[in-house]
Amino acid sequence: MLNKRKSIRNLTLAALLLTGAAAPAQTTGSGVINATLFNKNGISLQFDTDASGVTLGAAGTSAASANLGTISAFGPLSGGVTRPTVTAASFTVRTIFDVQVVQGGLASANYTLTANLAAVAPTGFTYKVDAVTLSTAAQTIQTNGTYNTDVAHNLDLVVSTAVPGAGGPAVGTPITATINFTATAN
Amino acid sequence: MKQYCNIDWKNALRLLCAALCFSTASATAQTSSGQLTITMNVQSSISLIFQNNPSVGTPGFCPLTNAGTNNVGLDLGTASFPGSFHTSACVNYQHVGGALYEVSSAFDVVVSKANSSSPNYRLAAQISTAPPAGVAWLINNVTLSNTAFTTLDATDNYFGAVTKTLQVQVKNNVPTQVLLETITFLATAN
Repeated sequence: MLNKRKSIRNLTLAALLLTGAAAPAQTTGSGVINATLFNKNGISLQFDTDASGVTLGAAGTSAASANLGTISAFGPLSGGVTRPTVTAASFTVRTIFDVQVVQGGLASANYTLTANLAAVAPTGFTYKVDAVTLSTAAQTIQTNGTYNTDVAHNLDLVVSTAVPGAGGPAVGTPITATINFTATAN
Repeated sequence: MKQYCNIDWKNALRLLCAALCFSTASATAQTSSGQLTITMNVQSSISLIFQNNPSVGTPGFCPLTNAGTNNVGLDLGTASFPGSFHTSACVNYQHVGGALYEVSSAFDVVVSKANSSSPNYRLAAQISTAPPAGVAWLINNVTLSNTAFTTLDATDNYFGAVTKTLQVQVKNNVPTQVLLETITFLATAN
């Protein structure tokens, strides 16, 4: 009886194995990727060194610096710095820098550039960009800036010739000011 | 009927989010900002320029070439001892003693200052080369040297025109030649 059972089991297993071997092999696999990309529009602003101006620190970024070196009404100036005017009351030193605004995904034809001083101008100084006097409030510099190209701007520092303590600037010490620029797509 | 209402809520939500994001982005003006930091160091300075005297053109006041700058020219013409000969109408010509003649012309010096508390300045001058024997160059009767600056004034005021007279004294035995000097004026803040 036991042998009979063993035989039945073996036959059953053999049948099952044969059945499996006869079934078609699975040789393909499939799947899908549901990919999504949100192409966001936007603009970016960077400062570039102008061929006629001082070499900017961190040029090509949005946080650059311009060192005008030693300035005076009558003495020598650093390369890239000029002195367009000298009067009894003040003198103006100038450098030129470039702003490049890049846009992507916008229908905007051009941009508006504004600037403001990060803090009140040091005593004896007036800052101008393209003849626009800056303050801590945003001033419009340009209303039709061209995207994707360097746009040159004049940075003028009007310096009082008065002595320190009488409305003139501090003499012989480094003076720093930060100008914030904002480009807005039109 | 049920199969027609079988919405893929995950994808729908995803699309809605994208649409919302897009509409928000479109509605707000795109801006970008940057900061430019400016650094400089102011230094006090003074400048010296030569100007024509208001009496320019009259005897004793010849016109400067390139007036208003710190590098000018002054042509005193041709002169000689005999007959008080001189070709320039704007010079003063005179005999000094029995064997010397002098040609002179005046001009103005203006010194300006900026960002300086200096109350005044001193003025000195020096000729570029030693003059030939028998020739002397003077400013306001002070003989100049080519070896050192000669002080002309100790306390001149800034921004005011200071009139200086250049004199060339020539002895009557000096041979024919062109007398040429570059005279350097030096203003020093007190």
